[in-house]
Parts: sequence; C-alpha cells; structure tokens
Amino acid sequence: MRRHVSLFWHYFLQYAKIRLEHRWDFFISVLTMTLATVFGLAVVYLIFGRTQAVAGWSFGELLFLYGFSLLPMSVFNVVSVNLYQFSDNYLIQGKFDRVLLRPVHSLFQILFEQLRLEALGDAVLGLAILSVAMPFLPRPLSGAAWLVLALGVVCGAMIYTAVFVVLTSVSFWVEDRVGIMPPVYNFIQFGRYPLDIYNGFIRVLLSWIIPFGFATFYPAAAALRFEQYVRYLWLLPVVTATSWFIALSTWNRGIRAYGSTGN
Amino acid sequence: MAARIEVAELVKEFRIPQRREGVRGALQNLFYRKYQTVRAVDSISFEIPAGDMVGYIGPNGAGKSTTIKMLTGILMPTSGRVISNGFRPFEERSRYTKTIGVVFGQRTQLWWDIAVIESFRLLKKIYDVSDADYEARMKQFDEVLELKRYLNTPVRKLSLGERMRCDVAASLIHNPPLLFLDEPTIGLDIVAKDHIRAFLKQVNQQYGTTILLTTHDLADIEELCRRLMVIDRGKLLFDGPLEELKRRLWRETSVKFDFRDREQAQKLAAMSIPHVSVERCSELTCRLTFPREAVSTAEVIRRVVNSVEVLDISIEEQSIEEVVKQIYTGQVLQEAR
Repeated sequence: MRRHVSLFWHYFLQYAKIRLEHRWDFFISVLTMTLATVFGLAVVYLIFGRTQAVAGWSFGELLFLYGFSLLPMSVFNVVSVNLYQFSDNYLIQGKFDRVLLRPVHSLFQILFEQLRLEALGDAVLGLAILSVAMPFLPRPLSGAAWLVLALGVVCGAMIYTAVFVVLTSVSFWVEDRVGIMPPVYNFIQFGRYPLDIYNGFIRVLLSWIIPFGFATFYPAAAALRFEQYVRYLWLLPVVTATSWFIALSTWNRGIRAYGSTGN
Repeated sequence: MAARIEVAELVKEFRIPQRREGVRGALQNLFYRKYQTVRAVDSISFEIPAGDMVGYIGPNGAGKSTTIKMLTGILMPTSGRVISNGFRPFEERSRYTKTIGVVFGQRTQLWWDIAVIESFRLLKKIYDVSDADYEARMKQFDEVLELKRYLNTPVRKLSLGERMRCDVAASLIHNPPLLFLDEPTIGLDIVAKDHIRAFLKQVNQQYGTTILLTTHDLADIEELCRRLMVIDRGKLLFDGPLEELKRRLWRETSVKFDFRDREQAQKLAAMSIPHVSVERCSELTCRLTFPREAVSTAEVIRRVVNSVEVLDISIEEQSIEEVVKQIYTGQVLQEAR
C-alpha cells in the first residue's frame, strides 16, 4: 500500500512536469477552468433562482445536493481520462503490453498514468455552491455530517470509477468501439437532484444496478437528514466494495481475453 | 544447471472474425460473425538453461512474437505449460515481471513525453531498485551505450538508434536474470547494432543473464547466440547449435580460384574432378561447386593446386541467410525433428 501511494506520487510528478513544460497550455486550462466555474455558478443561479421546494426538499437542500454531487464526480474525472482512451490508446496501439510487463497492477497504471487536473475545477464550483447553500439549510451541519460528506466523496469517486472500469473492460472482448460510456456518463447527472423526484424504475436503477445514487445523493442526504437516510449510509461501504469487486474481476477476466496486436 | 525456461506443448489459438464484403455483408456482420481459429503457436516444447543466449527466428507471422508474449506473461496460453524463473508467467505475472526484462524493438517501453532520465527514475521506483544499484548500473550503461548524451531529451525526440539503446538499458535497470528481446536491432544502423550487441554480450558474461532474442538479422545470431530455434507456421522446426543447422542444410560448397594468366584458368576449366562442377566466371577466375558429403574442400583444393598454378583461393561459405531461406521456403527441415 505504501509503495502504491509513493508510486502514485511519482506518477503525479511526471504528469505535472509534462503539463508545466507546455506552460501556455497550462495557463489556458487554468483560465478555462475558472471561466467554467463562473458560468457554472450562473447556470445554478438560473436553475435554482425561482425554486422554492421540490418533493419536500427545501431550496437550500436542493442547492446543497447539487453542489455536493460535483465533488466525487470531479475526483472521478481527474483519473478517468485513460478509461475513455483505453481501447484506442492501449489495446489498438498495443501499449497495453508495456503495462502488463510492469510489476504494478495494470489498472493502477491505466488510472494514474494520465490525469486531468482541470477537472478539479468542478470541485471548486461544487464547494462554492455548498457555501452558498449553507445559510439556507434548515439546520446547520454537525461535525459528523462533515465526516459523512468526506466519506461520500471518496466512496462516490470510487463507485464512478468502478462502473467505468467495467464498461472499459468490455473492449477486451469487443474490438469495435462501444458507445455505452457517454449515455452512462449522462446518468451521473441524475444524482444531482433528490432521487425521490424520479419514478421507481430510475430509483431502483440508480440505487442497485448502476449505483450512482450511492455516489452522490445518499451520502449528501444522510448529511442533511441523518435519521431518514442512515441505513443507506451503512450500505455505502458495502456498495463501494461490491462495485470494486465486480470491476476488478471483470478487468482481470478481460486480461485473460486480451489478444494483443501482432507485430 | 537448472532450466530458466521450461516450455511444454505450448499452444496459442486466436479467433479471427471473418468479415463479409459489401453492404449486405456488413449488415450480416452486424448480427452474426463467423470466426476462424488460427493456431499461432502449435505445440512447441523447449528448455533454456540459465546463462544461455538463444536466437529465435522465423519468417513474419511464424509465431515468434506470440511465443515471446506467452513467455513474458502478456498472453494467456490456450494450452500447454510454461515455467520461467520458477513462475507461471500469466498467472503469477506481477511477481514474475520483477525477474525479467523485455524489449520490443518496434515499441518503446519508455514514456513518450518525458526525458529519458525521468523514465529511468520512474522505473527505478516501479522496480524498487536501491540508489546504489541504480547509480552503478547507470554508470555501466553509459560506458557501453553512451547514454549520457541524450538522457535529458524526451523519448519522442530520439532517433531510433538512441531510443533502442535507452530501451535496452531500461529493461535491465532491475538487473533481471532473464531478458527477452523482440527484434532489438530492427531498423538500426551498424554502429547502433554494434553497441547493442556488445552490451548484450557484456551483460550475459558479467551477470550470467539468460537472453532470448528474436531477430531477422542473422548477424545478431552469429555474433551472440550459441543456440538457435527456428519456428515456422507455429511449429518449432529446429532447435540446436548454429553449427548443426549449417551442417544439416549446407549441401554445397563453392571454392573460387583466381589465376595470373588465362591459360591456367582454361586448364582448370577443362579439368574434370568427380562430383565437382566447374564454372568459368571470368577470364581469370573459376568457381568449383560440389556437394559436401561427396568430397571434402581440402581434397578439391589439393587436386587443383597440384595441376594448375593458382594465384588466390577463396572458400565461399553459403551465408546463414541462404541457409535460413531454405528453411523458410521449403520442406527442408521436415525430417530434422
């Protein structure tokens, strides 16, 4: 474990060096990140400006849910770049051979070999929205609620990653590009609003099949209304662990099917 | 000596989708695909003892790379058994890869965008190499491969020869007892080839590193390998010393004679020696060709110099290229195994 933390740090340093070498590229990304945050805030203002309450959730709570949902997603977006490029960059070009030849788990290398730090801009936006929402909450957050939120960010990012690892693994078997990632990605957006506004089918789907509900809504809801949502909180580590178990076994099975390009 | 690599009845099959042509075909492909099973490696067995340097050759598509990929743990064998450095490569890959080095001539193992030295440092970390070992090895790499000059250049800006030197060095950063090289000299100029060969020789002698390399350059084999394995269409056709391969396939020898004057040349052209065919190449040269089993080279030369006055003699060895071409193009070795 310690070795992997230190390895992650080294991967990160390499990435930072590459990015800093192209400094204009870097400045421009920082600028676009800032602009995106400002526009994001404007959009939130437009959406929630006239809202009073939806399905029993007050304006402050809705804003809070929305803001929180951006945090785990942003962390996920930092590490997910290579998952989208996996089929083209690693399988078709044959770079995956190199990954397999190193004594570090292949998924670790894929996730951390390339990062997208710009994605942290969404986290900044999320935190900004949270602070705007704070005064409108029916009761102030307790210390425990903050812990719940921290746990939620970590587990949420892990759940997103696990789901997309499963989808990425499909390309081990199917050579053609499979377009299932974008629609599933859009599902993440559902988690920005209270799950009870959706019909039963979508609720079940987002809770138990593609568990994005656990990535955003349930932890945030538990921070706001502890008694009502605490049972989901207990399930959060279970869902996270299960998702990762499925993700890792699918990935490892995929490697067995890996054909690798000929010379 | 304990075997470093043991391979028994190793098989790899690929399922290749059969695509139909035309719009109708494309539509049919949408719903069901036909697959054809191709046996890239067809039940091969061999052992490589520690410290050996083995050349693995065969025409394109013979199954060389597929074999290497199974030996290095990249591909899962369809059937058969591989034990290498005491590990089953595919199943125990993460522990196994610490004990091997791999170079693919056509693809770099290094990170494309960062300076070579940064790649080395990252690899040092990945393989848990101590500072002292790392320094010592870098010094040695620099002595033979002259790495220093481009350590601070990003890999993408290196020439092929420079990149290959770095790749070979990178594969040895953790001093593995076993090294695989898939076409390490492909596309290199003579100087670069020499560097790489000298380096491999040194590593093999100094550390007893076992080396298995595939190549299309037979000079690699002549210079480096005591043992040769020939594969074609997935089957191992030959496994033994280079000399033995030559002995088996070397059907004919030619000797060229140069003369000072034309009469002597004419005289030889008119001579008849049993089993030997004489060819007048030019005014002042003749070539004599004969089957190796029927008559010895010494005998032929003795008979010639006894009867004519010769200026110069050169024995034309059939090049190993030709020997191998015989294998690739035909049936020659069918009886050999």
